[in-house]
Amino acid sequence: MLSYLERSKLILGMNARNMLYVRPYNPKSAKKIADDKLLCKKVLKKADLPVPFLLGKIRNPEELANFDWNTLPKSFVLKPNRGLGGEGIMVVYGKNKKSGNWVKADRQEITIPELEAHIRNVFEGNYSLSGQPDTVFFEERVKLNRIFKPYSYRGIPDVRIIVFNRMPIMAMLRLPTEQSRGRANLHLGGICLGIDLTTGVTTHAISRNLSTQQDYRIEYLPGTRIPLAGIRIPYWQESLEIASMCQEVSGLGFLGVDIMLDRDRGPVVAEINARPGLSIQNANQAPLRERLERVKGLKISSAKKGVRLAQDLFGGEIEEEVEEATGKRVVGIFKKIIIEGPRGKRIVDAKLDTGAYYTSIDEELAIELGFGEVVKAFKEYFPHFHGSLMFPGKDIDYQLAETRKIRDLHIEEIVQKSTGLLQNIRLVSSSNGISIRPVIETKIILDRSAILTKATIVRRKHLRFPVIIGRKSLKSFIIDVGKKKEESL
Amino acid sequence: MPDLIQLALDQGVPQETIIYILMYPVILTVIAAARQVVGIKAFGIYTPSIIAVAFLATTLKYGLAIFFVVLAVALGTRFILKSSKLLYISKTAIMLSVVALAVLAFLALGGSFRRTGLANVSIFPLLIMITIVEKFVVVQIENGFKTAMYLAVETIFLASVCYYLVKWEAFQNLVLAYPAIVVLIVILNIALGKWTGLRLSEYFRFRDVINNVELPRKK
Repeated sequence: MLSYLERSKLILGMNARNMLYVRPYNPKSAKKIADDKLLCKKVLKKADLPVPFLLGKIRNPEELANFDWNTLPKSFVLKPNRGLGGEGIMVVYGKNKKSGNWVKADRQEITIPELEAHIRNVFEGNYSLSGQPDTVFFEERVKLNRIFKPYSYRGIPDVRIIVFNRMPIMAMLRLPTEQSRGRANLHLGGICLGIDLTTGVTTHAISRNLSTQQDYRIEYLPGTRIPLAGIRIPYWQESLEIASMCQEVSGLGFLGVDIMLDRDRGPVVAEINARPGLSIQNANQAPLRERLERVKGLKISSAKKGVRLAQDLFGGEIEEEVEEATGKRVVGIFKKIIIEGPRGKRIVDAKLDTGAYYTSIDEELAIELGFGEVVKAFKEYFPHFHGSLMFPGKDIDYQLAETRKIRDLHIEEIVQKSTGLLQNIRLVSSSNGISIRPVIETKIILDRSAILTKATIVRRKHLRFPVIIGRKSLKSFIIDVGKKKEESL
Repeated sequence: MPDLIQLALDQGVPQETIIYILMYPVILTVIAAARQVVGIKAFGIYTPSIIAVAFLATTLKYGLAIFFVVLAVALGTRFILKSSKLLYISKTAIMLSVVALAVLAFLALGGSFRRTGLANVSIFPLLIMITIVEKFVVVQIENGFKTAMYLAVETIFLASVCYYLVKWEAFQNLVLAYPAIVVLIVILNIALGKWTGLRLSEYFRFRDVINNVELPRKK
């Protein structure tokens, strides 16, 4: 257990963010891309990364006067090019058929003169960093993904992913609420949900008290009993890879990528941020600095690899929760294990097969591990009994009885010849008939826990896995079939 | 350094002025530390420091009074002008003019209540106070009224702390006797500029995470 002070050193504070990450890793030229939404859109699009389609732009009063409003579709989003924190964004989602006016996300109608007034405000710099003059552009309105429908109030949620060294370090889902008037920013009253990097499932949730500017944790969507944990983000893997690629394309070393998940198009990059906020740590209940320091200096050759490594390093929170609740470990189907025999140990690929009761190991591996005597003695008496169909046409009971008879005939002699290593000879019925297999005892280390188990020896040379681990050895595990193969032990 | 001070005194520079000039780096350092170590943002570094100096000229009591009058009048004027379709610059010009007139009225009023200290306030601290208004409005536009108010309170707090520090006689004597302290301050600022630890406010902001941190199991 670390002391409070030691634990606090794992948190990324404002000073460390600026001094250790933003300044050294984000060159000025790259920051320019992040701060200019149109330029960013252009740069990302050139790299074949998905962005919301540009519908038009107005750069000065002259262009405003000549702008043909008929070129805009029924729904669109107006954005100040250098707008900060969602300010000045106007979402238009349809047209009133009677009046012909556009209707904003808050159901209010808006006329063209009103739109023009808003745009002039943007020109004056009312929504930009330190009041600099600004321009506006229109882009397609991203369509709400069905999964998010119960969770969002008149806006589109987005996923913020912090990327460093080609790896997604931490992520959160931002939901627009009634309080934030349909915008997804935490400081405007939106909700942020931490996301488990491996599974793309939400974990914790926070909201912000707008008077004190302090984050506090919540469990349910405000005003409802809808739990916020457990939402599965669609297109998760793809989103992480896009985020990682955004880093490369933008030249920012440390950034926050905001991705919206369009109902039809999938992930699109809304914007990138050269100074991502730190509350993501509260949303994930996890420290950022410690993660960043762990991956600093690693050589990552591609976005895919970065994503995979990050998921291995930082993901798995959901699993850990299941493990805590059930007292069982969550493992995937394919796993590297250590297996021990009288002549030493080997690291091999294993398949965790809940369809099998017993654990079985390949004959060749068994010989390598020191069970050669057993194999030899067994083969002397049963040269042909490796999973072959022995009594074609007979029913299963007959087959079992006959096979048992054959086994009992020789078992004593084989046990004697195999220098005490043979435990038993077992009948195993499988889809290709009943086979007789020698049983030995071995120690397996699976996901860091040692299991002493009896295993049958079988000729599995034609199969991909030299070891199949059956139900009998898996009682203290939960098998997650969605989990990818782990290279680690 | 002491020679320089002696020379200034000989040339008729008031001792008070010398103290305030020597203290200015101290004020700046206090503000820098407040931001980097404590997490008090205020309106940047210039604004609180210059308000601290203004307070020194007006005394804290009158300084605070003027500050609140200026802010209240500015907000009121801005509220009235809100619906007018004027450009930002014109709006600000009108607002600052109204503020200036209000300050004049306030001083006259103070004089009539025999608050002579108020009537004697020189023009520069007054102007300084008025410029705060623009700072406030910019923050209000960008980050909203609450944030602007929050930062204004922080600014006043910092300026007051600096005021008391500079008015502290023992400290004044120390700085006068060893003006080289100012050099030390540069070193202190270099350290502050490299400080990457958590701010005090962040210990509070991230208290939940800090309490819950578990180092991931070795994989």
